[in-house]
Amino acid sequence: MAAMSPGSSNRPSGRAVVLAFGVAIAVSAALVAVALFLRNDNSAPAASPTPVVDLQGIPQDGAVLGSPDAKVTLIEYADLQCPACRRYTEGLFPSIVDGYVRPGRANTEFRGFPFIGPDSVKAHRFLLAAGLQSKLWELQEALYRNQGGENDGWVTDELLRRLAGEIDGLDAERLFADAETDEIQQAADAAAGKAADAGIAGTPTLLIKIGDSEPYLIQVATVAQMQAALDAALQG
Amino acid sequence: MSDRPLRIAAALVALAGIAVAGYLTWAHYADSTVVCVAGGGCETVQESEYAEIAGVPVAVLGLVAYTVILALIVWDAPVARLAAATIALIGLLFGMYLLALQLFVIDAICVWCVANDVVIAPALAVLTALRLRSDWGQTPRV
Repeated sequence: MAAMSPGSSNRPSGRAVVLAFGVAIAVSAALVAVALFLRNDNSAPAASPTPVVDLQGIPQDGAVLGSPDAKVTLIEYADLQCPACRRYTEGLFPSIVDGYVRPGRANTEFRGFPFIGPDSVKAHRFLLAAGLQSKLWELQEALYRNQGGENDGWVTDELLRRLAGEIDGLDAERLFADAETDEIQQAADAAAGKAADAGIAGTPTLLIKIGDSEPYLIQVATVAQMQAALDAALQG
Repeated sequence: MSDRPLRIAAALVALAGIAVAGYLTWAHYADSTVVCVAGGGCETVQESEYAEIAGVPVAVLGLVAYTVILALIVWDAPVARLAAATIALIGLLFGMYLLALQLFVIDAICVWCVANDVVIAPALAVLTALRLRSDWGQTPRV
């Protein structure tokens, strides 16, 4: 590209320009080829067969995980199709369970905000049904691990049946029957509207409730920030 | 158009490119705080499997390219003009690929990505190419 036309110190030669543009087209084509090729190696989110957190032995009642007597409740508004919710569950949630929920210092409550699409509402329906068997949190964790593309129909009966089969103590037949009841269907259909009415704009939205006081919003991105927020609530 | 306005315009467009690519880079790395919001598209696009090439976010590629182009415009040697035009053309072509992905594959549009793909990258490509021509105009061909 450094080629200059003879006699001129101020302009590249026509040949250099043609060469440079040829290089540009070749580099672009190579970039696209590399991008397309590496995409397949990269196709996230990969389903993981192992739960990211052990919930065995922790009390569950409906949408609440942890001791009902805990002073502090961490409320999570979530959409099962939301990648940020998956990241929350895989990244922050295990440390919350181990540090606060299992020792009985705090409990955590799931509130659905299924706004992304039909897969969100269906997943929410099955979570509510799993809550009737006190297995909402196991099914939620399993669905995040197997999260598919937005609204591509990934929440299939086959997936739900397979995941239900992997959760100890979850009766798959009852789960499917409960998920079809009018009560659950209406609750799932209404959830997005209820969350929006509560001023929830996106997911995950996290709030802390101390005792019976009004929940307040927290903004956390790291385990340390989450611990600081929960510690402050426990001292408050 | 004479060379000086072209040079200033190219520098301004490159600065705009740095701003947009910088924002998109920030948004990509700040993704632990990004939430899914109703009607929001950028998160989907930035979350997609196309947002990175071999672990390098495409936003970083853009940021590097615009920064190099700006440096080349400041340097302003003939070889720098040619290099700037070459990089701008690569950016334009790769931007077209990214735009096609958003439209036809990911089915989600990221406003800031589109700003880059249809405004900044083409503008920079045209401006840097025009500078090569204006350069020719000033010096008779041998």
